[in-house]
Amino acid sequence: MRDSGTMGTALRPAFAAGGMGGSAVPALAAARLVLARDLKLAFRKRSQLVQPLAFFAIVTTLFPLGVSPELPVLRPMAAGVVWAAALLSSLLALELLFRDDAQDGTLEQYALSGRSLTWLLAAKTAAHWLLTGVPLALMAPLAGLALGAPGAAVPGIVASVAVGTVALSLIGSIGAALTLGIRRSGALLSLLTLPLDIPVLIFGARATELAIGGQAYGVPVQLLAALAVLGLTLAPLAAAAAVRINLE
Amino acid sequence: MAWTWFHRLASPPHIYRIAGRLTPWLGWPAAVLIGGGLIGGLVLAPPDYQQGDGFRIIYVHAPSAWMSLMVYTTMAVAAAIGLIWRMKVAHAVAASCAPIGASFTFAALVTGSLWGAPMWGTYWQWDPRLTSELILLFLYLGYMGLRSAFDDVQRADRVSAVLAVVGVVNVPIIHYSVVWWNSLHQAPSVMRLGAPTMPPSMLVPLLMMLLGFTLFFGALLLVRLRGEVLSRERSASWIREALHP
Amino acid sequence: MKAFLDMGGYAAYVWPSYALTLTVMVLNIVGARRLLKRSRKDALRRLMIGGTES
Repeated sequence: MRDSGTMGTALRPAFAAGGMGGSAVPALAAARLVLARDLKLAFRKRSQLVQPLAFFAIVTTLFPLGVSPELPVLRPMAAGVVWAAALLSSLLALELLFRDDAQDGTLEQYALSGRSLTWLLAAKTAAHWLLTGVPLALMAPLAGLALGAPGAAVPGIVASVAVGTVALSLIGSIGAALTLGIRRSGALLSLLTLPLDIPVLIFGARATELAIGGQAYGVPVQLLAALAVLGLTLAPLAAAAAVRINLE
Repeated sequence: MAWTWFHRLASPPHIYRIAGRLTPWLGWPAAVLIGGGLIGGLVLAPPDYQQGDGFRIIYVHAPSAWMSLMVYTTMAVAAAIGLIWRMKVAHAVAASCAPIGASFTFAALVTGSLWGAPMWGTYWQWDPRLTSELILLFLYLGYMGLRSAFDDVQRADRVSAVLAVVGVVNVPIIHYSVVWWNSLHQAPSVMRLGAPTMPPSMLVPLLMMLLGFTLFFGALLLVRLRGEVLSRERSASWIREALHP
Repeated sequence: MKAFLDMGGYAAYVWPSYALTLTVMVLNIVGARRLLKRSRKDALRRLMIGGTES
């Protein structure tokens, strides 16, 4: 249960001071406040943060159980399994992005505040990545090792998942914004988001695969970074448009 | 002057009338072109030197694949226009496109699979073109699913319009990444013909089919558009006249 | 004629492809006309019931 005063303490004075467009608090500073708030609130409910990670672990475990326990069989699939599990986990975590703020009216406050909604949503997405993408990037090598990856692959796995999850959070924010008002939107959110995630999956899995094979993984990681940059420029815009439409 | 034309196009009663009158002008030429293309492709064109008569599937597969992409683009452009200029008619165009595009994407998938089957020995291969078509089908289904999740037509229009625009930006990215992925593993791709260039006897029917399908889409779009426009109209005045001629 | 239907041995692939595409085209035509008919019926009904609701 959220306390209703969450908006008040740190943010209300800052947001109220600006009014329409004229900013006592410029967009970037407002974004930083939103980021800090989201992080603070998320840490109050740490159990919710762990769930996507537990899901990631379980999904990863399904593959050896379903296919074979032998590492020589698992190692060629390891990259793909890690990434499929990461994609699904990040989907699950998208619930956290907008739901609470939409329910208690904070999102509406953001939209009406006269600040750039695009920047604020970018800040929320950044918080989301810090809370889910980074932990996934740290857990992914464990999954990789469990599926037969050599220890030398760890930096490559971390790097590729860390960069890739940036794009996943951004792409996911669009889907989350589109399905804001829809009840039980889980399956629809997946149907909308997963096709758009496929390039991230392809480049990410390739980077991880190269890392596991001990080869240079720079090229796919750069492609991932390019997707992340593209997402950074376009996704918050699209998400803001969708949020506004859904709040009307 | 140009603005009057644009605004008249945006007017539902006008569109309803014009679409009705224009439909046969697209429909009949489409039928002729498709009929001619079928004869040319099935009967007149010589067999391919590598694939024999199996290549003739191209005369239904390529137009279907063309439709799947062309319709999606049309849908996205109409959606963007609807968002930017707040035109109900543009949103109605986008809504009309989706089921047409999805059905032809499905046709492209099945015919593509049947085309490759004798060469591959299996009914499916993760061929880059087929894989891209499959993802495109998911994009269509997502769009249609999102639309149907909203009771309010206006909100459905605008939310799905954002999705369509996001999707169309992604289509080239998805396609490139799938081609790249496929090239890493050199999986077999068979949607090429043996002859280095297509002789006219093979090419002309293909062009006729492509054009014929495009006009067919136009005619279908106009019919659906009239239905969509009607369902978005609340005020009675023009409807009374339009429906009781 | 037999050779035509046989399609050089590929008949099992060629004819179902054409049949499916034709079916998709026909279903599209039917669907579009049904949508228009239904929309007209609904619009007329709204006319009877309502009068002008903008």
